[in-house]
Amino acid sequence: MADILLLRRTARTSWYRWAMHTLIFIGFTGLLVFHALDDIISYPFISGYESTLDPWQWLRNLFGGMALAGVCLAVARRLGNRQLKAISRPQDWLLLGIVGGIMLSGFLLEATKIISPNVFDRMTESYFLPEEETDVPALQAYWSARNGVIFSPPASTDADLVAKGEELSANNCNYCHSDTASAFLSRALSTAISPAAQTLNTTHADEYFWYLHIVLALLALALMPYGKFLHPVATPANLAARGGSHTATPPLASAAARKLGLEACTRCGECSLHCSVAPAHAAIGNANILPSEKLVSLRKYADDGLSDHDADAFAEGSRICTECLRCTEICPSGINLQELWLSSKESLKQRELDGPNTTIRQCNALQWAEVLSAQGKSRFEQIKGNGLADKAESFWGCVQCTTCTSVCPVVAVSEAPAKDLDLTPQQIMNLLRMGLKDQTLAARMVWSCTTCYKCQEHCPQNIQVADILFELRQIATERLKERKLTACPLPAATSGRFSDTTRDIQGQGSDSEGGKA
Amino acid sequence: MNRYDTIYDVMVIGAGFAGMAATLFAAERGLKVAQTGATGGIDFSTGFLDLMAVHPVAEGRYWDSPWDAIDAVIAEHPGHPYARLGKDRIRTAMNDFTSFLQSQKLEYMGHEDRNTPILTPAGTVKRTYRIPRTAWKGTEALRDKAPTLIVDFNGLKGFSGRQIVEMQHKEWPRLKAVRVDFPGSFGELYPEHMAWTLSSPDRCKELADSIAEHAKDVEYIGFPAVLGLNDPVRTVTLLEELTGKHVFEIPTLPPSITGPRLRATFDRGLAPKGVCTFSQKMVLEARRDEDGLFSFLIGVPGDARTVRAKNAILASGRFFGKGLRAERTGVVEPVFGIPVTQPEQRADWHHPHFFDKQGHAINMSGIEVNDSQQPLDAAGKVLHDNLYAAGAIQAHHDWMRMKCGAGIAIATAYRAVEVITEKNGE
Repeated sequence: MADILLLRRTARTSWYRWAMHTLIFIGFTGLLVFHALDDIISYPFISGYESTLDPWQWLRNLFGGMALAGVCLAVARRLGNRQLKAISRPQDWLLLGIVGGIMLSGFLLEATKIISPNVFDRMTESYFLPEEETDVPALQAYWSARNGVIFSPPASTDADLVAKGEELSANNCNYCHSDTASAFLSRALSTAISPAAQTLNTTHADEYFWYLHIVLALLALALMPYGKFLHPVATPANLAARGGSHTATPPLASAAARKLGLEACTRCGECSLHCSVAPAHAAIGNANILPSEKLVSLRKYADDGLSDHDADAFAEGSRICTECLRCTEICPSGINLQELWLSSKESLKQRELDGPNTTIRQCNALQWAEVLSAQGKSRFEQIKGNGLADKAESFWGCVQCTTCTSVCPVVAVSEAPAKDLDLTPQQIMNLLRMGLKDQTLAARMVWSCTTCYKCQEHCPQNIQVADILFELRQIATERLKERKLTACPLPAATSGRFSDTTRDIQGQGSDSEGGKA
Repeated sequence: MNRYDTIYDVMVIGAGFAGMAATLFAAERGLKVAQTGATGGIDFSTGFLDLMAVHPVAEGRYWDSPWDAIDAVIAEHPGHPYARLGKDRIRTAMNDFTSFLQSQKLEYMGHEDRNTPILTPAGTVKRTYRIPRTAWKGTEALRDKAPTLIVDFNGLKGFSGRQIVEMQHKEWPRLKAVRVDFPGSFGELYPEHMAWTLSSPDRCKELADSIAEHAKDVEYIGFPAVLGLNDPVRTVTLLEELTGKHVFEIPTLPPSITGPRLRATFDRGLAPKGVCTFSQKMVLEARRDEDGLFSFLIGVPGDARTVRAKNAILASGRFFGKGLRAERTGVVEPVFGIPVTQPEQRADWHHPHFFDKQGHAINMSGIEVNDSQQPLDAAGKVLHDNLYAAGAIQAHHDWMRMKCGAGIAIATAYRAVEVITEKNGE
């Protein structure tokens, strides 16, 4: 409940966001309950309720002011953070625009009603029976002086007349009307627009604002089921469903719970601001690396599928995700993002979209050497020119001392490195020394390297072991990409052993038999 | 003050035996020490501390007494680093060094006045001065030719019990070998991973069980040196309890885990003494400023920062440690440009036969220093009055063949620190 009503999870992201969201939340909810639904709630349940009586008139201004202040903070936040600005979509601005618009049109409506003599006349005709000639002018004088109605020509300012008006107002109007001063924001606005009062009053601006206000409110209602507009419903529902869970350990995720999670996203962007692989987005530019954007793709992917191009981008973003949990931890809506990523990755895997790391493991390193060397250099390699793995000076210091292999945690957790990894780091360096780069590209050591850099840190000869392994992986990835290889074109190897293959290393690379897909 | 703004009393360039010793001795004398250096000499060590054992190298003659060997080597090579030190200083240096190691739970054994014979992984016997406790019982087994089992493992390269037995069987008939699977692993094995594995008592139990059958009739069991990483004594003691036999380690081929153990001991023990270690950073450039202080550019090209120090000890080793650089035209000292004593021409560097008993002339090259361990220029003058050198970078010794590497490193480092301390006291 604290998560839902006090926005506790939002507070965990930042106090700024909490203040912003709390203002909108309380303001909007207050208006919804006491003002928009007053026919249903306020009149039946609150004795003597009138929208123009205090405290309701004052509260309406307070709630509206809060919501508007919150919207302004939200706009400032999205504009002020470059990263966030970049990922803000039209619907984010639309929601802020509509909520802001409802508030602004509401204030303008109230302000133009305050200054409007037409409204005054309508009210006096309906609720006031003048007994004397001077009754109406007196009431006008008092309402003009006290409540800001702007008559044309201006109402009298005679003190006696005003005093009389006050008495009349007390007997006739005050049952339903508090001073407009308690509508503190609208009254201030009415003062601000008073220079244009003449025009506004003759054009019946208040009616236009009424329509605008109603249309915007109905528009918001109509958009409710779509995207971000559903979050005021979906997010609390999701939080409730997850029991306000702060951790990533899910209550068993059902398809419905996942769907709810997808709908609960408020697109606040906090996950992307906290994403640990956000730098990769800066480098590669694939928006799907950022969780908030990946979620949009995921919805499409789950609903009606993605185009090939978008699916590849989504798959790449999914692969780059390290499942570090930061997005799940920070999400103010308590969406179990981690679980969504895990299941979408699983689904991508079934569609062979989980990328080269799986593809490369379908055959052994020598089979791949055949395929990849037949293909020759990728465009990426041609543009980049010789890398570390192509330069003799990268390895000529190597004395094959095995220090890199000894400190390697990947080798350490492997029960049988030769079987599980094809080659150990120092063996890879040795093949490269011999100019057999293609033979190393698919070695599972290359593909299992965590780039912890221990090998490079410990190498007594300052060889850039980790950088080289990473480069090899990149070269292989680019070659797979170029040929759109999502599976090994050769029959799967019966054994993963590099050394088990019956081919000898000579005679590799010259035949192009591996090119058959 | 961050570590880059501090002005240090001493900058030690090197993290091998000489660098570690210089850092230790300077820190123990209350000097503010900075140390640079990357993986190198110490990581490839057998863990034995050689003082002096072979002279003349051409004959490969082993000496029982390191002290007599020192006299003999000085007589023939007056430029040998030991010639400038005096035996008392060498003795003190060695003892200070090993007592530090002992305080860090890496205990060393040996005799004050003589070398101790010990097995190498090749099955030969070498003589050395100080031996880790975990290997010590191997010297007793060898001395008594006791019934002994050498254990080796499927997948561990460069360590063969059969090879050792083959080399020793004439003098040591009750030596035998067995090869077993390493607990919890198969395929290729690497010493560091094995050492981690054997830190677990359960794995030790599995190991003890797998050799129990073969160890029935022996008194000693020798293992490759993979018995634990940070507290090998504990692992050895546990294995002794489990097997009921005396257990000892034999170093594996370099890099053996015995080297990382030494490094880890210094990593643990130097920091509390206020040493600032610039780990895995190399000195790219050195400059002596107008105020007499040194400025060092340390790091890697493109990511280097300056550190300043009042004195410097150059302990950067020979070729493998990168203290000397062999270029096409000759050998140079890259940091200070100190002239290097070396063969006249490149053709004289190596003997035509790789395994020639005399060794190679290039392995006697190095820089010249005076009695205060200060490097000399071509004219034989002190290069900088606050620059010192220690260890293998000095000329006139072939530590690998003479078996005097650790001794030279430790004793010359001791002397350099001694001079700095004396000057500070003035």
